[in-house]
Amino acid sequence: MKPPITEHITNFYYKRVKAQKLTLLGPVILWLGLFFICPITVMLLYSFASRGEYGGVEYIFGLWNYLQSFNTLYLMIYWRSIWIAGLTTIVCLLVSYPVAYFIALKVDKKWKSILLILAVVPFWTSFLIRTYAWMMLLRTEGLLNSLLLKLHIIDTPFKMLYTDWAVLIGLIYGELPFMILPLYASLEKLDTRLLEAAMDLGANRIKTFLKVTVPLSKVGIITGIILVFIPSLGAFVTPDVLGGAKSIMIGNLIQNQFVQRNQPFGAALSFLLTALVLILLWIGLRAGVKVEEK
Amino acid sequence: MGQQKAYQERNLGLKAFSALVYLFLYAPIVILVIFSFNQSKLNVVWQGFTLKWYEIAWRDIAVIQSVRVSLVVALLSTIFSTVLGTLGALALTRYELRLRAFYDTLFYLPVIIPEIVIGFATVIFFGLIGFKLGISSIVIAHVAFSVSYVVFVVRARLVGMDRSLEEASMDLGANELQTFFRVTLPLLMPGIISASLLVFTISLDDYVITSFVAGSNATTLPLQIYSMVKTGVTPEINAISSVLLVVTIVLVYLSHQLQREQPPKSALAIVVLVTILLGSFAVGGVTTNNQTRQLNLYIWSNYASAEMLKKFEERYNVKVRVDLYDSNEALLAKLQTGLVDYDLIVPSDYMVSILIKQNLLQPIDRDSLPNLANLDTRFLALPFDPENRYSIPYTWGTTGIGYRKDKINGNFDSWSVLWDEKYKDRIALLDDVREVFGAALKKQGLSLNVTDSNQIAKTANLLKEQKSLVKVYDSATFAELLLSGDAYLVQGYSGQIGKAMAENPNIAYFIPKEGATIWTDNICIPKGAPNSDLAVLFINFILDPQISGENTNITAYSTPNKAAKEFIKPEILNNPALFPSDESLKNCEFIKDVGSAIQTYDRYWTEIKSE
Repeated sequence: MKPPITEHITNFYYKRVKAQKLTLLGPVILWLGLFFICPITVMLLYSFASRGEYGGVEYIFGLWNYLQSFNTLYLMIYWRSIWIAGLTTIVCLLVSYPVAYFIALKVDKKWKSILLILAVVPFWTSFLIRTYAWMMLLRTEGLLNSLLLKLHIIDTPFKMLYTDWAVLIGLIYGELPFMILPLYASLEKLDTRLLEAAMDLGANRIKTFLKVTVPLSKVGIITGIILVFIPSLGAFVTPDVLGGAKSIMIGNLIQNQFVQRNQPFGAALSFLLTALVLILLWIGLRAGVKVEEK
Repeated sequence: MGQQKAYQERNLGLKAFSALVYLFLYAPIVILVIFSFNQSKLNVVWQGFTLKWYEIAWRDIAVIQSVRVSLVVALLSTIFSTVLGTLGALALTRYELRLRAFYDTLFYLPVIIPEIVIGFATVIFFGLIGFKLGISSIVIAHVAFSVSYVVFVVRARLVGMDRSLEEASMDLGANELQTFFRVTLPLLMPGIISASLLVFTISLDDYVITSFVAGSNATTLPLQIYSMVKTGVTPEINAISSVLLVVTIVLVYLSHQLQREQPPKSALAIVVLVTILLGSFAVGGVTTNNQTRQLNLYIWSNYASAEMLKKFEERYNVKVRVDLYDSNEALLAKLQTGLVDYDLIVPSDYMVSILIKQNLLQPIDRDSLPNLANLDTRFLALPFDPENRYSIPYTWGTTGIGYRKDKINGNFDSWSVLWDEKYKDRIALLDDVREVFGAALKKQGLSLNVTDSNQIAKTANLLKEQKSLVKVYDSATFAELLLSGDAYLVQGYSGQIGKAMAENPNIAYFIPKEGATIWTDNICIPKGAPNSDLAVLFINFILDPQISGENTNITAYSTPNKAAKEFIKPEILNNPALFPSDESLKNCEFIKDVGSAIQTYDRYWTEIKSE
């Protein structure tokens, strides 16, 4: 049984919390609602429409764009894209974790921000120009091959450019900061005393790492995976430039529809991609929760 | 002692690994910087040291202006996104929310949905609500898709953050606001800094979304670069990038130095100072002078030389403002919104016919164009605009085959050389469905504009057979491939191959005997152009023989202006790629819009590309 005065305070408190929530969440929701959800809704309508004669949109609605998407030809492309994006994500995680760990926990405070910014600075030059630089490195007559030939490591030049490997290198290169930054943000707050405690309690280094460090940086890992996997899945410039446009990914498929002025089909492909990613995310997050429950 | 040593060794391993990763990150950057000092126009072979690209970049108003626009956009987007996103992340982690799953999905969506869809959707939406395209429309779109990154990164920091300090602060009598600014925010800083770096990076380099929502006076650096790539990227871009890199690295070093001597407050001060400096540099270029009248040009890169524009400005006392596009489709999307106020555009042949059918062009008063008589009549009354009511040809070219005389010998005059097993892995084709099908159709003696699905299917089979011989499908770097010797035979546009021929005399160009694509880019006035009188004045001005000839000498694109030939340098006029013989043009054809048959083409194109 509550005295009336406490009830009054609780009421007041709830109102206050509500106001706080509104101030914090209101602006961003409003922005996204107006400038993101509204446009995307228009696009969702388009995905059920049909292509106009000169590339406009005709408002005859139906499911054909979606039915057309389930062609085996396209399914193969989806599968290939998932595979390449998955590989990119795994390599990015394995490469970024030690670097983020090093910057967050092993470096003097004054060096931290420097190293962090230096990891991002290359990305302040144009993506296209950086990709062209990779082309020059990877060419059959390119710099890497000349170097390897000069050092007598190889006899005949490697074919590196215009292969899946080049696409993979390009994607990893392009997505690395999107893995390093969230990992850093999450590792930086790690309380090193916990690690010492684990060691004192007899855990070896590997065990400490797997049982303490990794779980404590879980949010960073998940964020990084999401930020890397999704853009790699939709990439289209890298497969074109470094892969020689010889084996396309979902991103190219969607891009082509817009270039050929078949926006409704492009929109339908995009929403299918979105659904696919949401499902993968949901499965991934559920698996993550299960592991945690154990 | 032993343990200490082992510990140090472990750190050494970590250090070495991190160093390797940084090497990987900077390898292409080093290349980029080195080639900014290269004599050659193309980023392929080292030809000796020069500083001329820095000088050119320094004088290139368009490039400097695009850097300014990019900085304004990136700074504004970063500020908005960081504030909105941080607040949102606080709400998500600190409060019970009934619609949590909904909010989570909402924040994932901008990251998941492909950029091209966001870009297209946003520009349609702006069209519906009548929002003018310009810098603000870019910022709005950038914030909408980058705010999620802030939410994610800041949330990663907030989750599991020790709250005892905040409680202590409250216990010691600070109110909520004081606690937020004195305790929570400083604790959050690493997350906020990571997030804002991420947003700045994304915004500064975004191309896809920006290309849709950018409007007048808002050509960002990525738009500039993508447009330049279409007409040949020069080390000028490397020079600009190198300068930007050096500036950033110096700034990072400076802020680091300051951080050492004094507490972080001064670091914050310098960040603010730098922001203000960058901001004022950037804003300085955006404000425009409204005293004189302004002609707004929306054009391909490297089409209108700065010298020509300056002459026009001086002669008529007006200001010319240039924005760039890199595809006919981007131009169409922009015009369809009705939100841009361009006076002149330069679409290609097939796009002119689409624009006419969509009622997006306004007729040109030919009586005000006495200089029209200077044009070669061959380029007048073309099928896409038979009476030249809406368009005047500006440049033209063909799509033929460029090859290395020193690497392959033999007499070939047909498209079938691209099917020759001998040249396996030395052949490059354009990455363009109509051009590639066009080559195979012409090889069979058919028209480029076939709509019969059986003929398209048969042609697709030819291309599938050919694929194992093809090194790459690429519409941007075919000239570089020839120069570097990676490819001996490339299908390419005459303009770029002409430039490569000037670089290396071993490169040659021919138009196959079966015929090829011929194209024109045409100057048009869009409907609703605010200064159509100036536009007509400008068209007549560029049809002047001397003006046209001098412009051709700089841009090195073929002009349809017959009278201009006496002003064109002989090395350009005698370049067989740029000015081919009448005989070789006999079987050439324009690419026409094939209507819904494009879907058949596209399906086979996807098949070819996914094998």
